[in-house]
Amino acid sequence: MRTAFAILAAIVLLALLGPFALDWRYDAIDWNAVRAGPFTPGHAMGTDSVGRDLLARTLVGTRVTLGVAAAAALVSLVVGVAWGAIAGWCGGKIDEAMMRVVDALYALPFMFVVILLMVVFGRSILLVFLGIGAVEWLTMARVVRGQMLALRERPFVTAAEAAGVPPAGIVLRHMLPNLAGVAIAYLLLTVPQVVMIESFLSFLGLGVQEPMTSLGILLKDGVDDMDIAPHALLLPAAMLVALLLCLTRAGETLRDRFGA
Amino acid sequence: MLGLIRRRLFTALPTLAAVVILSFVLMRLAPGGPFDGERPLDPKTREALMSAYGLDRPLPEQIGLYLRRLAHGDFGPSLVYRDFTVTDLIARGLPVSLTLGALALIVALLVGLALGMAAAVRPRGRLDRSLMLGATLLTALPGFVMGPLLALGFGLWAGWLPVSGWGDGDALHMVLPVVALALPAAGAIAKLARAGLAQVLAQDHIRMARARGQGWWRILIVHALRPALVPVASYLGPAAAGMLTGAVVIETVFALPGLGRYFVQGALNRDYPLVLGVVTLYAALIILFNLLADLAYGWLDPRVRG
Repeated sequence: MRTAFAILAAIVLLALLGPFALDWRYDAIDWNAVRAGPFTPGHAMGTDSVGRDLLARTLVGTRVTLGVAAAAALVSLVVGVAWGAIAGWCGGKIDEAMMRVVDALYALPFMFVVILLMVVFGRSILLVFLGIGAVEWLTMARVVRGQMLALRERPFVTAAEAAGVPPAGIVLRHMLPNLAGVAIAYLLLTVPQVVMIESFLSFLGLGVQEPMTSLGILLKDGVDDMDIAPHALLLPAAMLVALLLCLTRAGETLRDRFGA
Repeated sequence: MLGLIRRRLFTALPTLAAVVILSFVLMRLAPGGPFDGERPLDPKTREALMSAYGLDRPLPEQIGLYLRRLAHGDFGPSLVYRDFTVTDLIARGLPVSLTLGALALIVALLVGLALGMAAAVRPRGRLDRSLMLGATLLTALPGFVMGPLLALGFGLWAGWLPVSGWGDGDALHMVLPVVALALPAAGAIAKLARAGLAQVLAQDHIRMARARGQGWWRILIVHALRPALVPVASYLGPAAAGMLTGAVVIETVFALPGLGRYFVQGALNRDYPLVLGVVTLYAALIILFNLLADLAYGWLDPRVRG
């Protein structure tokens, strides 16, 4: 868990600050070094098929992927917590109807809905994460609802009710802070899901668009060139796997710690 | 059991209809249409095309028409592959995708269960730890990373296996795509099987069997496996759905002529009927798989049969 967090922090720092330390921007073309191999002077990891620095592209791509993932995870957090909190607080018929909706959405082919959204509303980064966030909130809603049901029975909630605190105040002031830990654990588990979806879409050409880059696009470029430049595939692949592995482990550890 | 099936079908049909209607409306909200090419079309030609495909009618009427055709198994014409109906394209792509998905599911089950059982023999032992770390690694390697890496290693460097195409559906061409699709699911299954076995192995009937002097493997397979499979069974529905989704990308990586490739092409070309047809089919398949997984669940754990 410590290692996972440490590696995560290192990757985030590298993605945020690393590009400033490099000589080449992610979209700058070096005509003198097209398809350069790794360890070429000026291009530590070589260049791609049009002469763009691979290390710069990988770091910026990681930044974009992480940014999209963080934004989408936040969208899913807001929607999921709101949905789950309302269902869990109201209970009864409302709860049942709201959870039926969640069940029905669970049965949908998500990836296809997201692809449909991308096709329909054009391929801006903003929409990529709004779309992903809009379909990734279901687990969060279920977990929050379960926690709300359990919290409702606790004496301090009854006390607040007896003291005449309005329902919105009880939910916001007394109950939500109590499920913050679980929500954060699931937020952390949502991020790798979103990273995977974003890379998946970009890999297919349906997500982030050139000259902007992301890990999915880099993987796709790497696959096209893998017979002559395997390092162009291995570098983003290693980055993606490290991210997914650390995020999953950190999230699972947190979830187990909060006992949900 | 029959009651369960009936109840499931009762919720499945409205869900399916909702998917179709939602997708239909979404597709029509899109800016740009299937006849926007490099050159703008002559307005008259455009009008004729729109009315030929019924795109000039009001939206509810189009939906009604589509649903009625769908009920007869007609997915309509493809707007981009002009000589084919969507039904034709699905008939070409679906066998490839289903073969790929079914084989991958079988491989994932076999590999996952084997890993899970091996890990459960000595909980918290060295083998257990390294296997579970491996399983986590497998689940963190999505198909679109695993596929190219396998193709690079076994195809380009070692030269043992072909890296693209379906051939005539011969075994050699299938190996890499099936393995790439199966491994992430195998990792998840291994974790679930290990967790399920660990719980069952702590119970009294297992201690009883050990006291009678039965061997470990016999206990694992005869006494522990069936109850331990319950969490695996509940994962099978989502796993099958994941196979369908993963197949989209695996088919792109390995250039296989499956349904997923038609779907991606259709999405890039705004081929409305094709995309709608594939989404509908996928939704139906996923609902079906979830039903099957529930039935398997009932067979493994008699307590939930109602």
